[in-house]
Amino acid sequence: MSTENQVTYKDDHFQTQDMTINMGPQHPSTHGVLRLEIVSDGEVIKATYPDIGYLHRCFEKHSENREYLQVLPFADRMDYLGAMNMELGFCLAVEKLLAAEIPVRAQGIRVIVAELNRIASHLLALGTYALDLGGFTPFLYAFRDREKILRMFEEICGARLLYNYVRPGGVARDLSPGVIDQIKDFCKYFVPQLQEIDELLTGNNIFVHRTANVGIIPLDKAISYGFSGPNLRGSGIAWDLRRAAPYSGYEKYEFDICYGKAEMGTVGDCWNRYFVRVKEMFESIKIIEQAVAQLADDGHMGRVAKSVKPTGEIYMDTECPRGALGYHIVADGSKKPYRVKAKSPSFISISSMDEMCSGMMLADVVALLGSIDIVLGEVDR
Amino acid sequence: MSLAPQTSTESSVNQTRGPIRQWFYNIYYTTVTVYKGMSITMRALMKTLGMRKIAKGYDYGAGPITISYPDVKDAIPLISRNRLFNHVEGCIACNQCAVICPVECIDISSRKKTADEDLDAKTPPEFGSKPLKLKLLKFSIDEALCCFCGLCTEVCPTECLVHTPEFEYSKFDRDKLYYDYLNFDDDNPLPKA
Repeated sequence: MSTENQVTYKDDHFQTQDMTINMGPQHPSTHGVLRLEIVSDGEVIKATYPDIGYLHRCFEKHSENREYLQVLPFADRMDYLGAMNMELGFCLAVEKLLAAEIPVRAQGIRVIVAELNRIASHLLALGTYALDLGGFTPFLYAFRDREKILRMFEEICGARLLYNYVRPGGVARDLSPGVIDQIKDFCKYFVPQLQEIDELLTGNNIFVHRTANVGIIPLDKAISYGFSGPNLRGSGIAWDLRRAAPYSGYEKYEFDICYGKAEMGTVGDCWNRYFVRVKEMFESIKIIEQAVAQLADDGHMGRVAKSVKPTGEIYMDTECPRGALGYHIVADGSKKPYRVKAKSPSFISISSMDEMCSGMMLADVVALLGSIDIVLGEVDR
Repeated sequence: MSLAPQTSTESSVNQTRGPIRQWFYNIYYTTVTVYKGMSITMRALMKTLGMRKIAKGYDYGAGPITISYPDVKDAIPLISRNRLFNHVEGCIACNQCAVICPVECIDISSRKKTADEDLDAKTPPEFGSKPLKLKLLKFSIDEALCCFCGLCTEVCPTECLVHTPEFEYSKFDRDKLYYDYLNFDDDNPLPKA
């Protein structure tokens, strides 16, 4: 028996031992199957080791044995909460390799569905975040409105979560006039509802005290880790790929880039990351309204063959609900990609857990984990 | 209506007061914000019960949202991609669906027709009146593997392979999801389309 582990009195105080706590993979607030190994000194966290891989489905390896069209269902299943954005990134990469021309209407439809999907994803993030911190009502309100978006998607493409709608060359089917009316109605309906959710949660003192000044990641750290999306903007920089490197006609639409301004707490804390998502939903509504008004009339599918044979190498990243998701595709001129690699924003967010958590209280891990809004399907791919 | 979050930036979190004043302010502020939230909840409840007039802009979305599912069924869009079904009388055994399936769950086998078979047979007019050159021996789908991507129904030249809006076909045994459409036998059959 070593003497180190024995409790001894030394200089009139107790020597304490570190305790290793296992959180997940069945923990409800890890939002999927994530296991965190937390080394804590009492209630203060010393180190956190995220253990990933529980949802690894070999997406990248599968893609090497499938045609480009067949890869799309796998891309859907990476970030199943923002599947339209996943497909869009992959299709844009393939189209860039083919130098294909996409009809203006198809680009507009892509923007509409991508922004609707962003709202659905942020609503889920917001609702479950409130649920993790003890607020039950915003969760129900958020899911009520998300349900309307999913129902519209079902009318548009036939599926609620895994769409397989955006294709190389355009989109699988056109928006019907009925669906366009539904989208217009939804924009009118959603703004007051979102203001209500915002009123319910954002200023709530209990919520603010759970999130403000918790899990701060300063801007320089966020950039050096490679953060992107709402997590980066929460750290106080107006960086958005939709503005910085516009794709699919985003340069035509007016919107503000929302970033953390520390209305409460500090820039880069959980509250600011949360509030960036709330503000972003209002901007998404703005984009959808403009895109619906500007819908062209030149068809939903460009002249792209069903089984494409591109050549070359490309990296294309798009602004997904969770950040910049990039596809690196190596194409060798055959029907199947030689290599597909997806750079996932959630993976980067979760890699910073150790640094963000150390020195934090144990109960705040839930607040931090919810605020970086990870999807494990995308972390493991 | 302005497109902006209407959040009051006043909170007790970033302010410096004396400890006693801060303590009372925290209680006061928490009460105020919780009251604000509860009033929204009450408003929604009154609207649901019909005790409060629904304001303009809220008109669709007020009232009960959930439906009691097995008794009341929601109308599902016709293009919704759920259970697969193949109308075998329209199938020309072209094998395109089996080729494009990303999870390889479709199994087809066919052979050339012999002289004593009807060589000029055609598919029914609702399936495009295409010539039936091959004799379909097997068309089966393992729906336990199906990923509902809808690629197979898009390539089908006669549109005999379809996703139906039917989704209630769960089984206790995974093997029972292996459907052979030439002798389709299911305890939960499809209504005739």
